Amino acid sequence: MSDVKPAPTQCVGPDYRSESQKPTAAVSAGVEFDTVTILPQTPQLIALLSIIRNKDTQRGDFIFYSNRIIRLLVEEGLNHLPTIEHTVTTPVGRTYDGLAFQGKICGVSIMRAGEAMEQGLRECCRSVRIGKILIQRDEETSRPKLFYDKLPEDIADRWVLLLDPMLATGGSAIMAVDVLKARGVPEERIFFLNVLASPQGIQNFATKFPKVRLVTAFVDQGLDEKNYIIPGLGDFGDRYYTR
Amino acid sequence: MAPSAADEPEVALNGTASPETDGMIATRAHYAPPWADVSIIGIAGSSGSGKSTLSHAIVNKLNLPWVVILSIDSFYKSLDAESSRKAFRNEYDFDSPDALDFDVLVERLRDLKAGKRAEIPVYSFEKHARLDRTTSIYSPHVLILEGIFALYDPRVLELMDMKIFCEADADTCLSRRILRDQRDRGRDLEGIIKQWFTFVKPNFEKYVNPQRNVADIIVPRGVENHVAMSMVVQFIQQKLLEKSTHHRAALTRLELEAQSAPLSDRVIVMKQSSQMRGMNTIIHDIDTSSEDFIFYFDRLTALLVEEALNKVPFVAWNITTPQGHTYAGLRPKGEVSAVIVLRGGAALEAGLHRCITDCKTGRVLIQSNVRTGEPELHYLVLPPDIDKHEAVLLLDAQMSSGGSALMAVQVLVDHGVRADRIVLVTYSAGRMGLHRLTKVFPEITVVVGQVVPDIEERWVEKRYFRC
Repeated sequence: MSDVKPAPTQCVGPDYRSESQKPTAAVSAGVEFDTVTILPQTPQLIALLSIIRNKDTQRGDFIFYSNRIIRLLVEEGLNHLPTIEHTVTTPVGRTYDGLAFQGKICGVSIMRAGEAMEQGLRECCRSVRIGKILIQRDEETSRPKLFYDKLPEDIADRWVLLLDPMLATGGSAIMAVDVLKARGVPEERIFFLNVLASPQGIQNFATKFPKVRLVTAFVDQGLDEKNYIIPGLGDFGDRYYTR
Repeated sequence: MAPSAADEPEVALNGTASPETDGMIATRAHYAPPWADVSIIGIAGSSGSGKSTLSHAIVNKLNLPWVVILSIDSFYKSLDAESSRKAFRNEYDFDSPDALDFDVLVERLRDLKAGKRAEIPVYSFEKHARLDRTTSIYSPHVLILEGIFALYDPRVLELMDMKIFCEADADTCLSRRILRDQRDRGRDLEGIIKQWFTFVKPNFEKYVNPQRNVADIIVPRGVENHVAMSMVVQFIQQKLLEKSTHHRAALTRLELEAQSAPLSDRVIVMKQSSQMRGMNTIIHDIDTSSEDFIFYFDRLTALLVEEALNKVPFVAWNITTPQGHTYAGLRPKGEVSAVIVLRGGAALEAGLHRCITDCKTGRVLIQSNVRTGEPELHYLVLPPDIDKHEAVLLLDAQMSSGGSALMAVQVLVDHGVRADRIVLVTYSAGRMGLHRLTKVFPEITVVVGQVVPDIEERWVEKRYFRC
């Protein structure tokens, strides 16, 4: 396991507390790509990740706490959408110089783990359209293979939030982006929202698509021989849906 | 009449650094809530002279939650086995000052005078013993202490602002006592009369009647004495007005002091990302539908609460992942609870429960007086173990001048919550209110959605609750 790096550790907590008042925890590895955004490594995020990583966490808690992380990912992802200046009058008669959202969006989840992120998306964007892509490993070639897709007709005119909580080698995410590009969605209108990534997955994905924006909560240490993320959180879909 | 301590300035810069804040040099301003110097009115008189009726009539007439009655009967000593047997035979002297625990009474009155919560014992006349439970008194502005020996102990007299002695002729007193003791205290006629001649009457001459010498006014005919009644009511109204004026003046003074200072680094204003500004635009737009308003407000407050939860204490926690690897993580150090400042704070509850589904929540109703703008504490329920919680999120939709936030924080501090464990979460705040609050309580953390320049009417809760 030569490609597993030790996790960086640091004190986490608000700036106004001294180092001695802040506990130390493992934080996300850094990345060199401008298109990759890692959520701020706040103590609360680390605590949420600790719960969903813990093998002893029950399914109900896994769902609740992963949803909280996903909501933060969606909120961060949406920040990269275009806006225009928009001034409104408030109920007390003041004017407020604000922004209006521009452009249509849609979600696309990579089945099945990506579907676990739909609730979080809907909590931020109420009646958002959601397409689905099913990609599975081909038994013969052991390469990812597209089995099914159902996407909004006008997806080429939309900003696409691609949902998959785990980015290990990046095989299925890369295939999903290829599907979107084939439907006419330009790279710069695709955002990939991801809970946990491996450095290798980031490397593969960001090199292949230099204009796709990737938002992740945490970049882990590496991959094991079965291409599981280390230290990881197990199989996201299993823990969310069936275990 | 004792000079009122309310004449002293309630705001002073004491210029000391606060000990809890690491190395932070801050001058702390002092805030005295209106209950910090409760006015105490004593009403004494013979048994059956109408003290209690008079007290209740006064309270009813004023009809304010911060005028309360404390009966000295609550402070009867618990009886030992021997005295208890005597008591059941009507041979125990309840009408002597020795039967009362003046030490506890003085202690509780001093607590109240200092603005603290006081636990008042509950005495059972059927069992002749103090019960295990207590009732608590917190934040009265005026306290009426009534009982036969309300003006007896010199330490109590020292704390009083007005001393009243009720007078009625002995026949009236005895007949009232018979009716009361039969109805409320489960005694029989023979016992009552035995007690009257053995104890009540001699004690009246010896201990009760001399109290008229220290009284400010002597009221004959009790509640029927309209002139005396309105005199007392007027006196209390005058006291309340003084307190309110002082409180408001103190708030104004804090305001002036706060204007020049920079915002504390414990005031965290949400980063105005494009989503944040976009949501704020929808929330601010008078033409936004209620459905959209509530949706976006809930979405935004969930982010406020997420940010607030970053300010609670965490400890290291090593966990094992399903693949058997260890991860050096964190978990909250202890329980995090919330206190809602009604009604506005309730608009943040949806956001709160998106982050902590089963969060314990206390509630406090603070209303601004429509005429004076003075914040007033009307209602208060807190989780009983709140002083043990590692963090308490104090939720309010809007903070303009900071008066009610100041009062809410004071309430938490009075209930044993350390100021550095309080995180105030509010959608919008006036700069001046933020200054004022953090000047008085430099240890608290504030998470605010946006800072508005000036005092603003509370429009958010009106939009959220649609009335």
